[in-house]
Amino acid sequence: MTILRARNIRKRFGGVVALEQGDLALGAGEVHVLIGSNGCGKSTLCKIIGGSVAPDGGSLELSSEPVRFRTPHAAAAAGIGVFYQELSLIPQLTVAENIFLGREPRTAYGLVDRKRLRSDAETAIRPFGAVVGQGFGPDVLVSDLSADQRQIVEILKVLSENSRIVIFDEATASLDSKQVAVFFDLIRSLKAEDHAIIFISHRMDEVFAIGDRVTVMRNGRTVVSVAIAETTQDEIVAHMVGGAYIAAADRKEAPAPLTGTAVLAARNLVGRKLADVSFSLQRGEILGLGGLHGQGQSDLLRSLFGAESLAGGSVFLDGKPLLLRKPSDAIANGIAYISGDRSRYGVLPIRSIFENLVIGLVSKQRPVGLNYGALVKRIAPVAERLKLKFPSFAAPVSDLSGGNQQKVVIGRWLAVAPAVLLLDDPTKGIDLQTKHDLYVILRELCAEGVSIILYSSEDKELLGNADRILVFNGGRIVRELEGERMGEFELYQAAYAAS
Amino acid sequence: MTEHAKTAPSNHTSLTQRLRSFDLRRHTYLLSVVFFLILCGINIALQPSFLQPGVMVSNLSTFLPLILVSIGQTYVILASDIDLSVGSIVSLVNVATVSIIEGMGGTGGAIALGLTTGLGLGIAAGLFNGLCVALLRFQPIVTTFATGIIFAGLALWILPQAGKQVPATVWQTYGGSILGVQTVIWVLTLAVIFALVLARTRFHHALLATGGQMQSAFQTGLHVLRVRITAYALSGLFSALAALCLVGETASGDPLLGTGYTLSSISAVVLGGTALSGGIGGFIGSVFGAMILGLIDNVIFFARLPFEYQGLVQGLIVLLALAGGVFVSRR
Repeated sequence: MTILRARNIRKRFGGVVALEQGDLALGAGEVHVLIGSNGCGKSTLCKIIGGSVAPDGGSLELSSEPVRFRTPHAAAAAGIGVFYQELSLIPQLTVAENIFLGREPRTAYGLVDRKRLRSDAETAIRPFGAVVGQGFGPDVLVSDLSADQRQIVEILKVLSENSRIVIFDEATASLDSKQVAVFFDLIRSLKAEDHAIIFISHRMDEVFAIGDRVTVMRNGRTVVSVAIAETTQDEIVAHMVGGAYIAAADRKEAPAPLTGTAVLAARNLVGRKLADVSFSLQRGEILGLGGLHGQGQSDLLRSLFGAESLAGGSVFLDGKPLLLRKPSDAIANGIAYISGDRSRYGVLPIRSIFENLVIGLVSKQRPVGLNYGALVKRIAPVAERLKLKFPSFAAPVSDLSGGNQQKVVIGRWLAVAPAVLLLDDPTKGIDLQTKHDLYVILRELCAEGVSIILYSSEDKELLGNADRILVFNGGRIVRELEGERMGEFELYQAAYAAS
Repeated sequence: MTEHAKTAPSNHTSLTQRLRSFDLRRHTYLLSVVFFLILCGINIALQPSFLQPGVMVSNLSTFLPLILVSIGQTYVILASDIDLSVGSIVSLVNVATVSIIEGMGGTGGAIALGLTTGLGLGIAAGLFNGLCVALLRFQPIVTTFATGIIFAGLALWILPQAGKQVPATVWQTYGGSILGVQTVIWVLTLAVIFALVLARTRFHHALLATGGQMQSAFQTGLHVLRVRITAYALSGLFSALAALCLVGETASGDPLLGTGYTLSSISAVVLGGTALSGGIGGFIGSVFGAMILGLIDNVIFFARLPFEYQGLVQGLIVLLALAGGVFVSRR
């Protein structure tokens, strides 16, 4: 019996289409797996079902009745509970307060019953009691919990709502195998009580362990929906990739020549989200970082830039050990970092294009009496090379399109001529033409001897531009793809392989 | 392994945990209590009569308006907003109430109407702030700064110069006692009970959640909008209550009466351990914070320090308290 049906759901954020045709039919007593690569629209679809994002079009039916949720509250009232991938916890509140937030047990006088709040929380926690680890309890502040413990709180919070339909968006991402086992037992008992479950996970083994049915999404569209028993892992990956196995079709004609000298080398790096990462970067090479989103790629880049601290390991630049405590250490050694998160790490929005371009140069000049003429001379060729479209140097950078803003950020670093460029998903939300321009420039830079580490959440970009790809999973490099073996299918397989 | 063997260590951890879980971050007001007691000690040393009931009541009635405004300000700050219009609300309610009471001849009915209109006006002003900030998504600082100017302007329009009088019964009742207990103690007690009850409601949990992480609160299904507006309305209500106390205290109207209360109330809230970033703290700290600010004035007076030092010392103490708060949260 179909309890929830989504038809032709559409959503765009600004100029970016997040969901083009989201279809889903969810049956009662079913664990329905939703799978697809980064940015395929599955999280957006879940948020629309959960009422926290409003769709642009399409229809949603709950028990054959058309519904439209304007707020998460409305969806919750209709019996839909959502585990949010980015979690919906309040760090300043305790575990108990978080689990029952908005639904706190009340006394006869209508006040919050703190004793019952605590005991209800203890009951809720009990199944996880043996696997939850140290420092967990109803009175502990969520800000003091580790990542897996927070995830467990979010699970308990969703379960305590006792919703007819429960959506778990990557609920197992930071859990260990014992915790996952407990979680799956809870899901099975939900199933036995005829609840319907939408389950998003990137771990293939989990998909087959818990799923009844799988719906595959690709590029904002629902591609196929089949029973788990009637499919295989390779078949699912093939649907995610898009039918034909792509091998050499997308490879660029000639890989860049490598001079064979390591510019940057990392040995056994350990960090907040990094576990024993070692690699070396050749001169003039574009080294790609692949894998699912958030597996440590950004953390590696930010650590190499000195913006995140490392717990262990060593970094060598031209064979010499390098201490990276803060970004200025990296900059002084010719290492530049560019994030796709322009508004947060890139542009100075209200300042002029000129100021945005020269800020890297200014810090190298004498402190008093800037020579504007000299600065303009330095940045004019950079702007030209980037094919930057701009009204005047004095215009605020926020007047530019996203793509041109990103060019400004890149131009800032080109002006200081770095030896190593760290690119953290640099083309996020940029139009195709600008993307193309950017990658042409990157190739030119490589030819000039600049070495680049590129992380992109768009696998096709990675495959099309990197000379080698290190595939990340859970903070580790799980595979290195090169030459013939560097195809879309291999990349997905490595990324989705059971961890 | 037996079931007992499994649970024993977890009991053990929960005990040590409970000891460790006595967390200053959950009792941020404690620091202000310590400060308060220290200042009381200094005050007693300088002014031996400090502990006499009469002196205590007189101190309390001096501190009460700021205590009330600070309680109201707490709710707004807990929601990670701020209310820079509280001082003007105090002025506006004060002159409106006095004008109504005098304009209608100072009868019992006039007094009742004046007081209720005053309270209603305070709530309305708070609601207006809340609607601008939460519904129209204006910046809280700029918005309440602007509405504060509007409220202050309205106060001056109603009563351009300090003056007018309320009937003797008003200030006599406020300065006297009801059922054998001083009126100011009644007011404080009722305000504290109100705040204590409020702290036990779902609204208060939602308030902390909203101030703590607004997006999470929204996704949890809380009515974030309603919570923020209610916080501003509470701020308006408590400011109005403070204004009515000032009517009882001064027995007249003054359009500039509330001027100092805005920044003092924010200082009091911060002194009381409530985080300006929202989500952490509570009204108890603000009560102590307001009394600390009052006691500092006392100490400066009785230590015969020049009056000009008052601002300097107040500022230093707020800085010291902030440093203490930073120390606690960065542990």
